[in-house]
Amino acid sequence: MNNEGSIVYVVDDDASICRALSLLLSSNGYKVETFTRAADFLAFKHTKVPSCLILDIRLPNINGFALQEIMAQRGIITPIIFISGHGDIPMSVKAMRAGAIDFLPKPFTDKKLFDAITLALSRSKVQNKKQAEIAKIKKCIETLSPRELEVFQFVAQGMMNKNIASKRGTSLQTIKVHRGRVMQKMQAKTVTELIGFAKKAGLTSSSD
Amino acid sequence: MKKEIVKRKPGKAKELLLKNVTRNNLEKKIREQSDELATRSGQLKRGADREKLGADRERVSENKILKQKKELNSRSGQLKEGADREKLAEEQIHIRTKAMESTFDGIFVIDAKQSDYPIIYANPSFLHLTGYSKNEVIGKNYFLLYGSDADLRIYEEIKQTLLQGRSFHGEMMHFKKNGEKFWSLLRITLVRDKNGIVTHYVGNKTDTTLMKQRDSEIKEQREELLHVTRVGKLAEFVSSLAHEISQPLTAILSYAQAAQRMLKDREPQLQEILQYIINDDQRASEVIRRLRYLLKKTKPAFESISINSLINDTTTLIMPDIAARDKAIKFDFITNPPSIMGDRIQLQQVLLNLISNSLEAMEGSKLSHEMLIRTSLKDNETILVQVRDTGCGIPEENMKKLFTHFFTSKPDGLGMGLSISRSIVEAHGGRLDAENNPDRGATFYFTLPIIKKDKK
Repeated sequence: MNNEGSIVYVVDDDASICRALSLLLSSNGYKVETFTRAADFLAFKHTKVPSCLILDIRLPNINGFALQEIMAQRGIITPIIFISGHGDIPMSVKAMRAGAIDFLPKPFTDKKLFDAITLALSRSKVQNKKQAEIAKIKKCIETLSPRELEVFQFVAQGMMNKNIASKRGTSLQTIKVHRGRVMQKMQAKTVTELIGFAKKAGLTSSSD
Repeated sequence: MKKEIVKRKPGKAKELLLKNVTRNNLEKKIREQSDELATRSGQLKRGADREKLGADRERVSENKILKQKKELNSRSGQLKEGADREKLAEEQIHIRTKAMESTFDGIFVIDAKQSDYPIIYANPSFLHLTGYSKNEVIGKNYFLLYGSDADLRIYEEIKQTLLQGRSFHGEMMHFKKNGEKFWSLLRITLVRDKNGIVTHYVGNKTDTTLMKQRDSEIKEQREELLHVTRVGKLAEFVSSLAHEISQPLTAILSYAQAAQRMLKDREPQLQEILQYIINDDQRASEVIRRLRYLLKKTKPAFESISINSLINDTTTLIMPDIAARDKAIKFDFITNPPSIMGDRIQLQQVLLNLISNSLEAMEGSKLSHEMLIRTSLKDNETILVQVRDTGCGIPEENMKKLFTHFFTSKPDGLGMGLSISRSIVEAHGGRLDAENNPDRGATFYFTLPIIKKDKK
């Protein structure tokens, strides 16, 4: 199994569980970081490698669900596997609805845990890739001049060159020049790709 | 005077004689005249007297008439007053009769001077209550109306009490003419004449069937709630026990499986031992899982609830407790509260727990008399319920532990009440918390989400 470079975080207020999971996970080649408090996890400097979080629901002060919310607010996209000693169904439903990978009632076997982690890490990889792509697009957007950005937005909305020209009160030729520069700076090969970039960067989300 | 004149002038006797005669005559005349005058004056005086008498008499009779007139006046006044009084008395009798006739209580009067103690009056409510007609009641002995199913011991008790000259007061089962049972509060009082002899018995019968029913309903509800609370406490107890046990079981399982992985293909004997540990760990987990399943049978029944009526219903259940402790609850309700979704019994449990905690906090202090339950809108999506007491408040060091399992400040407490309450409120999508009031006592408050209208 290739688990190189991935990190599994564990947050559980029971120190023995942290230690046991740490031993179990590292025996399977995962890099593990354990925390007994949610605040400690939040204070930890996260790297951009694929990761997942094994999170106990009942925690002092900030509980599992609250941590999940804070992570969403802060843009920490690490997938979560909830674990709980209270095996109640409504809780698991709530956890899954909030976007958790899985909910494992304690105690759980290594197989169930590893299955969940495998799924979580693969999702993390996809998410990381997406994040990286968005970051790259945003970086490209930063290189655009204000006028180019404007043209980019019009194009992203699906407007024809002549429409943009009349709207901007400039010649068609000028718009064509701007557009060419946008394609070049955004490293887009086709208009479709360019529009895709705009969507990923969230440029068109509010204009439809 | 005549002699002196004679002595002095004897020479002139004739003249004197003549003179004397004349004088005598004159004198006589004068005398006569004077007599007449006197008589006349007497007459006059008499007449005047008479006149005066008459006037006096007249005055007397006038007085008399005046007096008589006054007397007459006063007598006629008295008569009029008498008539007025009679009219008033009549009116009062009318009102009293009306009152007797229209009251819900059954009223009857027994003649105590007749040997068979007949009923001589019974109001319509009495007839309605017993199901007998007027003819079947008047002139009959009261006890004959009890029906053959009645308890004879009660007859005796009533009879003995009355014969000893005391009033009777008691609640008992009665039977209507058609045999239908009803609960009745019966009071019989004695009416005495001037000499203290008992002349009548007045009876007063109140139908308490509805009250009895309501009482027993409330009692039933209380018992049901107590049962649910007990079961809830047990469930919560087991659930927290299960949690406490599953924590080390989780660790043990993971340790053993980690060790297995670390050994890989080495040490088959150790591998086997590790497998036994894993198996037994899972056996223990299974026991806990089954225990949890058993207790999860009582699923919460969610329904649409008006929070104000839920609070009203709940406080009705413990009003007797509150009254017995000489405390009072005030309410400050939001008008037309939006409905919430919840399990009625579970939420009642939460309220009861908070109210009884408040009562206990207010125990033994005269300053702590009143508690307040307030409902309000926290925001467009949430209802806020506050239970505010004027008790001893919560010591700062207990604040954090308040809602944890097994924490209690009471000598005989289990420490489950607030932790159960919090898990119930959380299961309803709300929050339960507490704070000390700036002046006195503490406020426990919880939120519940409002049913969204578009979901309907």
